[in-house]
Amino acid sequence: MNLSLPENKKIRFLRWFDFRSWRLGMLAYILNRVTAIGLVLYLYIHLAVLSMLTGGPAQWDPFVALARSPMFLALDVLLLAGMLIHGLNGVRVALTGFGIGVRAQKPMFVALMLVGAVLLLAGALKIFME
Amino acid sequence: MQGGTRKKFVQLARCANTLMAFDITLRMFRYRPGQAAHFETYAVTVPDAANVLDAIEQVWDKHDRDLMFRHACHHASCGTCAVRVNGREVLPCIAPVKNYLDGAKALTIEPLRNFSMVGDLLVDVAPLLQRQETAGLVITRPVENHLDGKPIASAQGLDPESVETVPFNRFEDCIECGICLSACPTMAASTKFFGPAGLAALKSQLDKTTDPTERARLLDLADDEQGVWRCHSAWECTETCPQNVRPAEAIMALRQAILARKFGFGK
Repeated sequence: MNLSLPENKKIRFLRWFDFRSWRLGMLAYILNRVTAIGLVLYLYIHLAVLSMLTGGPAQWDPFVALARSPMFLALDVLLLAGMLIHGLNGVRVALTGFGIGVRAQKPMFVALMLVGAVLLLAGALKIFME
Repeated sequence: MQGGTRKKFVQLARCANTLMAFDITLRMFRYRPGQAAHFETYAVTVPDAANVLDAIEQVWDKHDRDLMFRHACHHASCGTCAVRVNGREVLPCIAPVKNYLDGAKALTIEPLRNFSMVGDLLVDVAPLLQRQETAGLVITRPVENHLDGKPIASAQGLDPESVETVPFNRFEDCIECGICLSACPTMAASTKFFGPAGLAALKSQLDKTTDPTERARLLDLADDEQGVWRCHSAWECTETCPQNVRPAEAIMALRQAILARKFGFGK
């Protein structure tokens, strides 16, 4: 039996970004995907940056100086935000998947994001103050 | 009611209806196969308590008899009229116009997403019905009995022996409107996903049977690559379902049943 839905298969996912229909669950869904893509990109960038070690201090030391600049530290905060959103939202998805808090998934999302905001604030302070 | 009194009553009702009517603008999605989809705008006057379907019917009645849309019961029972109003899936037959008006007094009416378009607001819901049939939960049954167990057909002069006689009360909530499939973001990304309505149907059927073979078949379907594990917990299906079927909760319950079967705990 053909259960496929044939219309506009390749671009239908663009409907995710029809903001008119967004609710909290959809926001969580989009955030999880956007942060996942961001974290995968970060992983590749991280590996590329580490490869600079093969160039010795001549390549690495200027990068370390750049990494201590406020702009770069802001990117670190952005990375932390992505990790917190993705990780904490993942906790919500895992719990509901096990049948825990299925009727409370929205308050759970809000609560976890508040926890994330507190952790992000603490992390940002630590990143910029050290 | 006497003729004169009745006439006055009708006139009074019409007058009240006119006084309590208001003007709105409908921005309607229009499409015909082979032509570019576009929006057309219609001005209609609807009663104060009008639902969106009333406004759509006004467009058909006053402006364009070519408008393609589907409806039947007008009370959220048949599930045929589902559309999107201002981007969100609703049954327009029970959606008060006033709830969806913005400051500009305009409503945008579009067909459901994730289905093939037939024309205007009409989509092909066959994939939804195929999924329900695969799950074994279909709205149309060959014969059903009255709640007291007596066959309906016997009252219509048919041979009672030829119809099903097992008492059967049917209280399915799902009206197969397709709203959950339209709202589901995974459905937009994966055309073969079994979908919220189908998975809720699997859960419903699973709850009804103790037959190990049938239970295994249902759980195999749910455990398929395109089954419950495709759901990524946006919960849009449960949010939009007009009949409180809560498909997302059914999906989570199926996951537990699958895990219970795999690891040998629970029921």
